Amino acid sequence: MLLRYITRRMLIGVIQLFCLVIAVFFLIRLLPADPVSRLVGLNSSPEGYEQAARQLGLDRPLFEQLWIYLGLSPDIAPGLLQGSLGVSWASGSTVGSEIATFLPVTLQLITLAFILAFIISIPVGMLGALNPGKAADKGVFVYSLFAGSQPEFWWGLLFVYVFYFQLGVAPAPLGQLSPMTFPPEPVTGFMLIDTLIAGEPAKFFEALHHLMMPVITLAFILSGPIIKMVRQNMLRALQSDFVLYANLIGLPRKRVARYALRAAMGPSMTLIGILYGFMLSGAVLVESVFSLGGIGQYAIRSVLAFDYPAIQGVVLVITAISLVVYLLLDLIHAAIDPRIAY
Amino acid sequence: MNGDNPLLRVRDLKVGYEVPGDLIVPVEGVSFDLNPHEVVGLIGDAGSGKSTTALALMGLARPPGKILGGSVEFGGRDLLTLPDAEIREIRGRDIGIIVQNPRAALNPMLRVGRQIGFAYRAHNEATEAAARAHAIDMLRLVGINDPERRVEAYAHELSGGMAQRALIAMALSSTPKLLIADEPTSGLDVTIQAQFLDEMWQTVQKTGSAMLLVTQELGVIANFCDRVLVLHKGRIVEDAPVRQFFAEPQHPYSQEVLRFYHERASGYPEQVTGGAGFLRTDALTKHFPLRGSDKVVQAVDKVTISVAKGEAVGLVGESGSGKTTVGRCLMRLEHPTAGAVILDGQDITALNAAEMRKMRSRMQIVFQDPFDSVNPRWTVADILDEPLRVHEGGDKAARRERAVAALKQVDLDPSLMIAKPRDLGASTLQRINIARALICNPDFVVLDEPTSVLAPRARNSLIALLARLQKELGISYLFISHDLTTVRYLCQRVAVMYLGQIVEEGSVEQVFTAPQHPYSRALLSAHLMPDPTNRRVDNPVPAALEGEIPSPIDVPKGCYLASRCPHVTDACRANPQVLTDLGQGRAVRCERVVAGEITLQEAAHD
Ligand SMILES: Nc1ncnc2c1ncn2[C@@H]1O[C@H](COP(=O)(O)OP(=O)(O)OP(=O)(O)O)[C@@H](O)[C@H]1O
Ligand code: SF4
Ligand SMILES: [Mg+2]
Repeated sequence: MLLRYITRRMLIGVIQLFCLVIAVFFLIRLLPADPVSRLVGLNSSPEGYEQAARQLGLDRPLFEQLWIYLGLSPDIAPGLLQGSLGVSWASGSTVGSEIATFLPVTLQLITLAFILAFIISIPVGMLGALNPGKAADKGVFVYSLFAGSQPEFWWGLLFVYVFYFQLGVAPAPLGQLSPMTFPPEPVTGFMLIDTLIAGEPAKFFEALHHLMMPVITLAFILSGPIIKMVRQNMLRALQSDFVLYANLIGLPRKRVARYALRAAMGPSMTLIGILYGFMLSGAVLVESVFSLGGIGQYAIRSVLAFDYPAIQGVVLVITAISLVVYLLLDLIHAAIDPRIAY
Repeated sequence: MNGDNPLLRVRDLKVGYEVPGDLIVPVEGVSFDLNPHEVVGLIGDAGSGKSTTALALMGLARPPGKILGGSVEFGGRDLLTLPDAEIREIRGRDIGIIVQNPRAALNPMLRVGRQIGFAYRAHNEATEAAARAHAIDMLRLVGINDPERRVEAYAHELSGGMAQRALIAMALSSTPKLLIADEPTSGLDVTIQAQFLDEMWQTVQKTGSAMLLVTQELGVIANFCDRVLVLHKGRIVEDAPVRQFFAEPQHPYSQEVLRFYHERASGYPEQVTGGAGFLRTDALTKHFPLRGSDKVVQAVDKVTISVAKGEAVGLVGESGSGKTTVGRCLMRLEHPTAGAVILDGQDITALNAAEMRKMRSRMQIVFQDPFDSVNPRWTVADILDEPLRVHEGGDKAARRERAVAALKQVDLDPSLMIAKPRDLGASTLQRINIARALICNPDFVVLDEPTSVLAPRARNSLIALLARLQKELGISYLFISHDLTTVRYLCQRVAVMYLGQIVEEGSVEQVFTAPQHPYSRALLSAHLMPDPTNRRVDNPVPAALEGEIPSPIDVPKGCYLASRCPHVTDACRANPQVLTDLGQGRAVRCERVVAGEITLQEAAHD
């Protein structure tokens, strides 16, 4: 049952991705941009221009380009079917390998930030819902208003100013490790894991230390909407018949709160999924402030360079990850709430 | 009737709901006492604040409600001022409660067994395993079969009746000193309803506790309560012993509620003569295909009924017996699988769409939920105008005049013409539905439980209205109901359905005074007549039918009742039973009754 559901969702996901690939492929080519002149410079000779266009494959008819990208003409170049995202026009290395270096940085950052945001938001949101209108609730309201009132790079800069310049408890915002440290062999791409694989706990803690500020910044931003959502879902749950009944039969206050929390978590999953998918590319400002080199930065670089294969690759990978996250959260929702049938 | 040492003493209880910009106070100063050993009924209109009062007795209000004042003294302490931890100890241990909507009261995310376990462990020292064993025992006690499996179920996997049983089990298991039961049997079929009330009543008697029984049913009050409280406009307007209440109600509201009880002396409605077979069905059958299977749900099985001109025929039976489907087939809202429906000599199952549209003005239907059948954005004028426009045309002014006349006919004020459904209460809207059904002067109306969502007073006046209209206009009714009391007042003849078949048919007097078929007997003996001089709890009652109604998918080969009938023989199980005419308009589907092998018991109700 479960397996069939997952398979079905995966199949639908593949179809969605396929449609997305086609759409993105044509949409970026509709842009009034000339990637070739971008590459060779505006005042190159016509021959040079043509040669560059040939190299990029842009001299071929549009559908032939699509065929190659999809991997239907493997004799010319490998494509999606062969598991290749193509070659970046800007750097000349494969898009796949570039994404593999940038993506883990972002995944590591936002996953940790979500976990931290959750740890903060659940008790705070619960507190607000259990004492609606009281001081604690008002404090929560002010906090979420405050956190959402400024853009994240501003908070990032402020935190850097306070914790690095003034207090000196945070490292300089110069990447995942200090510039003097020799990074470990990239195995998974996740710095925290790679340092452990390399057996270098000192570097592990250094990486953790460097992650601290960006994670806190993101969690600070994220906790605003998450608190609001937890509070609201919790309030609704507290008004439900079964919570009233739980009170009527004298269940302890703690147990009643847990009933309500569980009822509040299910509907929260959807928003979490959307937020996570958004953060995959939306964390770019924080990545920039702390010079982490994440997928958001890579995406922007690719767009500015009209690097079509890179843009397509990033969109495809981010969407695929979002779809997997949605699926996972739906599975969690179903595990929390037995009324949800596959 | 207040004892010196009441178990519960309620004074000036006040509860309000904060709605944006306003404070509604449905309970504004309720005072009463409850004594040990006493079963007290609380009645009142829908929305009169019965449930609100019941919750407030335990110091709670449904959000956004708030207890605004008063005191609830229990065991020498005021529950409304007790610290949270102390009142939680009393709730569920000393005061048990059964709420109105049992399925919603269970946590949808936890297995039923765990919830019962939590409730048990809130007031008892027990390990998780012991609590689970206790939960299984309790479910077995309230007659849930296979309790080992059911404790693993979630609320949405239980039927409403099972959830109700679980709640009853939870409430009774701690042997509370006070049991508050808010319409504890509203979702149950009459046969089970009576069993449960019996059980609760016995528990109260055995343990010397008291029970507050919130209900809208006079039958429940008459048969189980010692004393009656009437809640009206936020206050207790009458507090009287049950016999006195029925005999000499003091407050005008109580008098109106009891009107039918007092008019009962007038006997059964007169039989109509002539015009027989004005509407009849011939072996009407309806099967619903079952999705993902080649089986069918046999909802209606060869039903043959006949309604004379100006006659009201009642169709009664448990839920799921196929009553509504018969009504829908008559109106051709459902196309019968086989059989004919004949109105005034014309087979309407053979009509084409245009002919049927014409026929629709001659036959109408009124549904159970008045809000279901009207467009919420229309005004009453629009609602009443629609059938006229469709069936008769004519100019606007004349149609409007007809609509006003129709409103007056159902005792409503013409000023309501501009109202919209949400401005109206259920009973007013139901009258408008009736006005709409009658506006094209139909010959025949199907009434599908038109009173079941109404409070007793509204129900009474609607029945009176229907009876009056029938007399004045000479319309024929098919009155579908599981409420035997209203059938008794409105109908001349009655047909009893079980599992899609008619098992007994006759005049209301015949069937009500001397039911023949074992199922009719069980149904009638379970029915709670509003008569405090002949209380169920004072007389031994014949055993109710065992088990549950079989599934209409795999119907038995022989008699459909065989699995539950106390008189069953091997022959019954083998022979399909046929509806046999006994003369005098009576018919019964039971070979043993026809052969005279089952002797008639005492008349169930006179
Ligand atoms: N959440 C709410 N907000 C505002 N008003 C409410 C709310 N719940 C109930 N009320 C109002 O309080 C009054 C009393 O409601 P209550 O449920 O106690 O009545 P009841 O007698 O138990 O009705 P029923 O017969 O339908 O069970 C009604 O007028 C209702 O409209
Ligand atoms: S036929 Fe037999 S089983 Fe059926 S009702 Fe009659 S006695 Fe009972
Ligand atoms: Mg109620």
